[in-house]
Amino acid sequence: MNKQEFIVLLEGVVEAEPGTITGNETIESIPGWDSLAIVSFIAMIDESLGITLSPKKIADAKSVDDLVALIGDNII
Amino acid sequence: MKKKTAIIKLIEYELPECFLTNEILATDFPDWSVERIEQKTGIRVRRIAAQYECASDLGVRAAEKIFINSSCKREEIDYLLLCTQSPDYFLPTTACLMQDRLGLPNSCGALDFNLGCSGYIYGLGLAKGLIETGQAYNVLLVTAETYSKYIHPSDRSVRTLFGDAATATLIQRSSATKEIIGPFVYGTDGTGGKNLIVPTGGSRLLRSKESAEVVEDEHGNFRSQDHLYMNGAEIFTFTLISVPNAVKKLLFLSGKKMEDIDLFIFHQANKFMLEHLCKKLKLPENKFFISFKDYGNTVSSTIPIALNDALSQEKLRAGDLVMLVGFGVGYSWGATLVRWV
Repeated sequence: MNKQEFIVLLEGVVEAEPGTITGNETIESIPGWDSLAIVSFIAMIDESLGITLSPKKIADAKSVDDLVALIGDNII
Repeated sequence: MKKKTAIIKLIEYELPECFLTNEILATDFPDWSVERIEQKTGIRVRRIAAQYECASDLGVRAAEKIFINSSCKREEIDYLLLCTQSPDYFLPTTACLMQDRLGLPNSCGALDFNLGCSGYIYGLGLAKGLIETGQAYNVLLVTAETYSKYIHPSDRSVRTLFGDAATATLIQRSSATKEIIGPFVYGTDGTGGKNLIVPTGGSRLLRSKESAEVVEDEHGNFRSQDHLYMNGAEIFTFTLISVPNAVKKLLFLSGKKMEDIDLFIFHQANKFMLEHLCKKLKLPENKFFISFKDYGNTVSSTIPIALNDALSQEKLRAGDLVMLVGFGVGYSWGATLVRWV
């Protein structure tokens, strides 16, 4: 998965129009990033990469880049 | 020596009269439309116990249906197992009070066990143990829960999901030569206790004026320490790991393959979790039974309600092998196989 694919996945999670997330924003500023979106995000990452992310680490993430960092080497 | 094989004879359930519809929820939580609530939760309606209606009241009514719809007489019940996290009192044991209300004999054993969504599997395990070691002939396993009484009305995270219900299952000794219920897989991880909890009311943290103070969380839900709290993301993560492992372990223990299973009935936690688990385990959708639309998550009652519904919809037939998996509060999980007779 590359960063663009990750952003598309994230847009799907928060039900945003394609192209609305640039990747440089803070998580707080993304409309629809709520508790359901977090669960949905965990599910999508599990499904596409087979990784179970820690909800605590997701909650600690401040930016889209922080979320990308959680996926580590699986993102290129 | 004559075989003493435990079998499930009959399952009945009881729902409270009050309906909590998506229309009511959409009024209370204006951010969400009726359609969005149904789309996100998959639930159309939840049933909620009346103010003075206890889990045991629902449990007694479910158990009475067993005596109406089977040939088993109440004096033949020699063990009552009650799974509940909403007992009538700290003490006495609610199952003891139910023994009296149901007119079960004084020679009947009765106990409560405190488990949630895994409770039905544990109850089947206990009933099988009692029957197959010759301690009982007819075990009445009751699951009864009224989580609604623990839920703050402005906590969307749990109010949209949980419903109240009770079920009663008659488990009997038979002379079947092959195992009917089992094998069993159990699991526990108490580190997750804090993620689905009513913090006060027990001995660890007493209820007080301070504990009753209602606060808003970061997602806009309101609750106090006296209410049910659920960390949905943590619970979801726990199931992603524990449920597939339990399924694999059960198949290994039983020497069965996925294809040998005729029907999968998982704890009906919520639509999202079930859909994801079904996909993750690559289960065929036509073998993955769903029954939360008209009840929501009824905790320990979801699996027996689903079994009953699967039978009435003829998705479960005599001779079928059904896999049951319960998971949740504790964390606690369990899985077993039942050959339907």
